[in-house]
Amino acid sequence: MSNKLKINTTDNYFSLMGLPISFDVDKAVLTHNYHEIQKSIHPDKFANATALERRLSVQQAAQINDALETLKNPTKCSIYLLSLYGIELSDNDTSVDPLFLMEQMELRENLAEVASKEEPLTELDAILGDVNSRIKQGKNTLNTLFQKLLSDSEKQESDESLLNEAKSEVLKMQFLNRLQEECLNKEEDLTEQL
Amino acid sequence: MALLQISEPGQTSAPHQHKLAVGIDLGTTNSLVASLKSGFAETIADENGQHLLPSVVQFQVNNDNGYQTEVGYIAQQNASNDPMNTITSVKRYMGRGLEDIKKHSIYDFVTEEDSVVPRIRTIAGNVSAVEVSAEILKSLKLRSEEALGGDLTGAVITVPAYFDDAQRQATKDAAKLAGLNVLRLINEPTAAAVAYGLDTGSEGIHVIYDLGGGTFDISILKLTQGIFEVLSTAGDSALGGDDLDHVITDWIIEKAQINEPEPNLLRQILDVARQAKEALSDNETYTLSLNLGNEQSWSSDLSQQEFEKLIKPLIRKTLTPCRRALRDAGIESEDIQDVVMVGGSTRVPLVRQMVGEFFSTEPLVDLDPDKVVAIGAARQADVLVGNKSDEEMLLLDVTPLSLGLETMGGLAEKVIHRNTTIPVARAQEFTTFKDGQTAMAIHVVQGERELISDCRSLARFELRGIPPMVAGAARIRVTFQIDADGLLSVSAREETSGVESSIQVKPSYGLSDGEIESMLKDSFSYAQDDIDARKLREEQVEASRVVEALNAALEEDGEKLLSSEEQAEIRQTIDELVEIAQQNDQRTIKLKIEAVDKVTAEFAQRRMDASINIALAGQRVDDIN
Repeated sequence: MSNKLKINTTDNYFSLMGLPISFDVDKAVLTHNYHEIQKSIHPDKFANATALERRLSVQQAAQINDALETLKNPTKCSIYLLSLYGIELSDNDTSVDPLFLMEQMELRENLAEVASKEEPLTELDAILGDVNSRIKQGKNTLNTLFQKLLSDSEKQESDESLLNEAKSEVLKMQFLNRLQEECLNKEEDLTEQL
Repeated sequence: MALLQISEPGQTSAPHQHKLAVGIDLGTTNSLVASLKSGFAETIADENGQHLLPSVVQFQVNNDNGYQTEVGYIAQQNASNDPMNTITSVKRYMGRGLEDIKKHSIYDFVTEEDSVVPRIRTIAGNVSAVEVSAEILKSLKLRSEEALGGDLTGAVITVPAYFDDAQRQATKDAAKLAGLNVLRLINEPTAAAVAYGLDTGSEGIHVIYDLGGGTFDISILKLTQGIFEVLSTAGDSALGGDDLDHVITDWIIEKAQINEPEPNLLRQILDVARQAKEALSDNETYTLSLNLGNEQSWSSDLSQQEFEKLIKPLIRKTLTPCRRALRDAGIESEDIQDVVMVGGSTRVPLVRQMVGEFFSTEPLVDLDPDKVVAIGAARQADVLVGNKSDEEMLLLDVTPLSLGLETMGGLAEKVIHRNTTIPVARAQEFTTFKDGQTAMAIHVVQGERELISDCRSLARFELRGIPPMVAGAARIRVTFQIDADGLLSVSAREETSGVESSIQVKPSYGLSDGEIESMLKDSFSYAQDDIDARKLREEQVEASRVVEALNAALEEDGEKLLSSEEQAEIRQTIDELVEIAQQNDQRTIKLKIEAVDKVTAEFAQRRMDASINIALAGQRVDDIN
């Protein structure tokens, strides 16, 4: 039998933003609550206050901004959810499956050669399209995994193997996000040269 | 029957007292100041009815061998006769090092020992860009105090959205020298959006294309129910109308076959170039003429077509940031409601045409591109000072550039990415490299590139007082915070021992605190006694602010959030502060305020938490949509 892990359900970004814990947060509610909170604690509301209150307001507003960014972004939200289970991702984690790494290397090589191609922007579009669809796929997988994990968490415990699966999926997402960023940078360079 | 007057919660001073606050657009070419008059923001004119103040400062010797300055139109007229002592476009030098500013500058720059800040050699001595800007701000301060009939409580000063930390800090330093209380630095395009958005009330996504005299910004904002949320910003803090003048200048120099023009002639050519640019916005051709001295002259026609050919590469340069801003905002051209043109340089027809083509929409040009920024800033100043005319308005802005740290091999590791909403705080952990290491150097840079050498150096920090441990055992947590002005601060703590490491900041391009202090002392308007008196007064004001705020907070939340012992403790510390504030000792008052802060920090935090709960209460999930 596999280990069960507990999730920390109070005092987190979800409770701070008045939302239930989930991977697929309701963006409209998130934005609305974010605006309401900022209206009450943003430093602009404390421009006339004491230095102490001004300082606290900057810290609080920074935390709310971080909460918004974390919950809005699928990769960041996954990492955050895992941290609530007590799982921290480290930079030198290499537990990504070798097949995925091979594919990544291939995509990277293609990206590096784009500039020398006849239609660099078209080539780049194809790679970017591929990366984007992989990101979408990863998002769906994570959504399913976290739905399972969180429905388990009503029993206050979750399956460690599901968590490990989620972890390796997040690592893949990090690779893909970086690759997407590089594609967009390349696009910027190429259009600038035109 | 007399009605009881009940002031609003949190509103501690007399509620109906209207405080004087202004918005200042400190521009490369022209500056403006605006304020709110019966709910309507307008720019303030000088005694001759002129709203624009040319951002030109002339340093002169006066009769009793002291120095004086001339700011504005008169200085501008004197520029070609006294080019070396008359400083124009000083904004381009703010927060910049010597290597950045030499190009196209006629001034004689020097660096003094113990300072990284370049100074311009003038008849009145060496002056930094910060001091020159302070003269412009002083002039605007005087103008507004005369027009509004009283001392200013504070000012909002606008800066280009793409200004980096050093440029923002320099602007704030200039305000300090001018004796202005800065309520907030806000980004120029955001200020323009406020003026425009409140004017039209149109919700949705707006693009502000702001091409000023020396800077270019593009900001994409979303406006919902009084909240101005910047989605992304991009730009070039060294591209503007001046550069259009420079390409015409180069053209003239080539056509007239002038070799290495003297400062006076160069000044004249720059003026002629500017006139040509302005004229060619409305006319097909313009005749340029120069007086070369010795009764020689030169003249030539420049057609609009030829002019456009000259400037086209520069306008095209603005489209790269436009593309990047769209990408960072995660939107397509179709999502955009409108494109608003701001800044004097958007009067050039080719600019309007190319921007229109890029966004596939006719850009809006119905706002006065010169005044709109100051007007938006005045509205924000009014809100910040507590006059509450636009209670629901809130600006959520972003940091324009990524903040990174130097890592092994001269690479930059990003800690805060560009277009992150401010304020923002990010912590990073470091460890020691050698056994017993007690200090550590950290290099902070701003920019998007991977190599440190391609980014802009902001500061070097030295962490000291790390307890000696084996290599890799120390855990130093460094927190980078960007506040609502877009300014960076850094704090550090060794986690295993809890030791607060001290930080020594060496700004790469800024004035040190000591330099500002001595400038304040040297400044024409302050004697040492004045400075001490001013410091004492400021500390007393802060003390009374603390007392008022705490009394109001106790009144409102004391029973709810504090035990009776806690309330008694806070009341006692307030009483002590009141007594100390009456004595004329700035240092003691300061220390007492710090002590009060310690006693009341927990209460302030509880109040902050409670206000978040109130903000979310009644907004239950099913109420929305």
